[in-house]
Amino acid sequence: MKLSTMWKEALGSLVQRPATEKYPFVRQEAPEHLRSKLHWDLEGCTGCSLCAKDCPANAIEIITIDKKAKRFVFHYYVDRCTFCGQCVASCNKDCIELVNNEWELAALDKDNFELYYGNDADVDSVLAEPAEADVEEPITA
Amino acid sequence: MTSNQLENFRIPIGPQHPALKEPGHFEFAVDGETVTDASVRLGYVHRGIEKGTEGRNYVQSMYLLERVCGICSHVHATAFALGVERLAKVEAPPRAQAIRVLVGELERIHSHMLWLGVAAHEAGFDLLFMYSWRDRETVMNLLENITGNRVNYSANLLGGVKCDITDQHEQEIRTGIDFLEERTAYYLDVVSNDAMFLRRTRGIGVMSPEAAEQLGVVGPTARASGVARDVRVDAPYAAYVDHPVNIVTETAGDLEARFKVRIKELFESYRLIRAILDNMPEGDLTTRMPRRVKPGETISRVEAPRGELFYYIKSNGTDTADRVKVRTPTLPNMGSVLALAVGHQFADMPMLLAGIDPCFSCNDRMVSINAPGGDTQQWTWEQLRQYGIEYYR
Amino acid sequence: MNTFEALIALLIFPGGIFILFMGMAYEWADRKLVARFQNRVGPRWFQPLADNIKLLAKEEVVPAGVNAVLFTVLPVIALAGAMTAVLYVPMMGLEPAHSFSGDLIVTIYMLSLLTLCMGLAGANTLDRFSLMGATRTLTQLFSYEAPFLLALLGPALVAETWEIKAISHYAANHTWLLLTQPIGFLVALIGLMGKLELPPFDAPEAETEIVAGAMTEYSGRGLALFHLGKGVELVVGLTLVAGFYLGGIANPLLFFGKTLLLLVGLAGVQALLTRLRIDQTVGLWWRYGALLVLVQFLVLILWQGVM
Ligand code: SF4
Ligand code: SF4
Repeated sequence: MKLSTMWKEALGSLVQRPATEKYPFVRQEAPEHLRSKLHWDLEGCTGCSLCAKDCPANAIEIITIDKKAKRFVFHYYVDRCTFCGQCVASCNKDCIELVNNEWELAALDKDNFELYYGNDADVDSVLAEPAEADVEEPITA
Repeated sequence: MTSNQLENFRIPIGPQHPALKEPGHFEFAVDGETVTDASVRLGYVHRGIEKGTEGRNYVQSMYLLERVCGICSHVHATAFALGVERLAKVEAPPRAQAIRVLVGELERIHSHMLWLGVAAHEAGFDLLFMYSWRDRETVMNLLENITGNRVNYSANLLGGVKCDITDQHEQEIRTGIDFLEERTAYYLDVVSNDAMFLRRTRGIGVMSPEAAEQLGVVGPTARASGVARDVRVDAPYAAYVDHPVNIVTETAGDLEARFKVRIKELFESYRLIRAILDNMPEGDLTTRMPRRVKPGETISRVEAPRGELFYYIKSNGTDTADRVKVRTPTLPNMGSVLALAVGHQFADMPMLLAGIDPCFSCNDRMVSINAPGGDTQQWTWEQLRQYGIEYYR
Repeated sequence: MNTFEALIALLIFPGGIFILFMGMAYEWADRKLVARFQNRVGPRWFQPLADNIKLLAKEEVVPAGVNAVLFTVLPVIALAGAMTAVLYVPMMGLEPAHSFSGDLIVTIYMLSLLTLCMGLAGANTLDRFSLMGATRTLTQLFSYEAPFLLALLGPALVAETWEIKAISHYAANHTWLLLTQPIGFLVALIGLMGKLELPPFDAPEAETEIVAGAMTEYSGRGLALFHLGKGVELVVGLTLVAGFYLGGIANPLLFFGKTLLLLVGLAGVQALLTRLRIDQTVGLWWRYGALLVLVQFLVLILWQGVM
């Protein structure tokens, strides 16, 4: 039994640099396998909607413009996404990727949290229409 | 004051209290500084998760259940995945099972180190708190790079895992746990030798093996009282079949023993992780998993950092579970706090509470109503709804 | 001393503005040091000031069931007591603003006023944490008061005066009393920590047990005043101990050097030790602190008699 067991450590810390990081002045590099913002590639997408079905957070909506011509718009709610990576595993056409370096996603405006991926023309046409309410809202109250 | 009034001097801890980071309500009747009675009320964070699984498919449910607990999230997903896989009669490939256990053990390290800090803080030993949390960053970073998230790792898939262990990962894990092993030895020295700290832990909250059996406590709380109870040993699952665990027990049954058991378990985790890395099976990470699961029911038990975690899953042939029932380790352990509280100093209460490593949001799942008449009844969904409508009318 | 000088002494230096800022500066140094012991960055230099401005600007909620007058007045008395004590100590190594024979006793009681007010403030409310905290505060007050007093009387005894000014002169011209009365020094330092409810003697305001103890119901102005009072008391206490035991403080440089040295020690103890339960604090004090200092006291008296 000693009166204090940690005094050496504590004294050492006086001359050591603090372990606290001064974010946002100092940023660590994102780990290679970190999952952050989702990116979607129209190439190869069959519109099967498996990604949307399996997403636990209802963060994905596949809007079909023209199934034959393979024109889809991928509506992604950044604020709902939990970055679980299930959509990547569910999609067997490798359309979805969660990149590792876009993790600072806070924003002041709600508009930043809704993203539309797809052909510019298709996205414009989706945006022109009044929003449909076919994505189940998460229960809030 | 008359003795009756003294009886009524009850000090609440919670639902909002600096000692508890989650809402739970404890009331301690004190006579001066001595606790004469204790009661608990839980259920402030009932989130309806079990009900929630009934409206989601198995894949979605797994992520929902992973969020039952923010600290031991991986074991929840593992327990559920193992259960559903058993129902669907598929088996995840050996490599996936090994990775599940690997992540599970890393999670145990993270959970125990977190607990060490919290418990030290309850005792007013912030130095240990800060240092143990600083070192815990190591394992957090490892988990982040292996799985992609720092908490709620989502490493599991039904039928396998998402993340692979590359050579680079292996290297990182080995350096990480070498460092942590050294630190853990240091903390073991601190909790068993620091005179001031021992004043707050030695001989406090002693639970005999008989009492532990009687209260039905699980996990490290039971093992600190000499009850060798560990699902990883009693009913090995996933890769624990190939990598047996040496059970760690202490006999004293006091708070000091609970500290020691948890810290010594870390060494066991380090050993397991090394063993798994040495013998990592080759092969696929996933196997094909049907979306619909044949009717049936099963139970699935795993050892969470806090003790035995129990899942009951009933399937009905669709892609959605018919019923999922979860019992988390905090629930059986909670009784021990009340049983041990009486006769102790009020100042020991936060320590005693922290000693079981409580996790309230894990706990709160069932609604049972105590009618004023005194009979406990369970309400059906319809009755509950009706009650809600009338209450707010 | 004319009225003008008295006003300066009361409002600007060493009382008033000056000591408030000194208190905050020392509080910052203390917090920073503890943070560095814990390998953290710690607060920036204006943090205590910012805290106090924020608190002073906030609405003060007077809870139901309290005596509103007492509730408002107690923090004022506490701060006033601590700031009065400043007038009698050699602040910054300069001559005290006031002195008379026996001012040591007055100073010590002025310092106790703060704790007493805190205890009363807690007992004044109906809050169960406050009541518990108040009981502990007062228990602790009674347990450390006697040893602390005796520890400061040790130097007075050898200097053969009860006037702070004279004692610190005596201390400056003789061997450091730290060497001749080590027990008194330790007890005085620990007593100071107990007075200020610093860890490990912070059972009266143990966050994880009774939230903020006696202070639980205080928000806004009252809390700010108590905080400032504690800062002032920290400076006064350090000045007394440094002046008595560390060979006097003849100029500002020595003053800062010695008090900051003491503060580093204080911060180290705060960081390294686990909080004691209130029964342990009291037990420790009466069993060891009071006894040891009493023994030393007797030895001193005998020694004086022999000489
Ligand atoms: S990462 Fe998970 S939550 Fe986010 S969109 Fe994909 S499935 Fe949905
Ligand atoms: S799962 Fe893949 S292929 Fe199917 S809709 Fe989603 S992105 Fe397209």
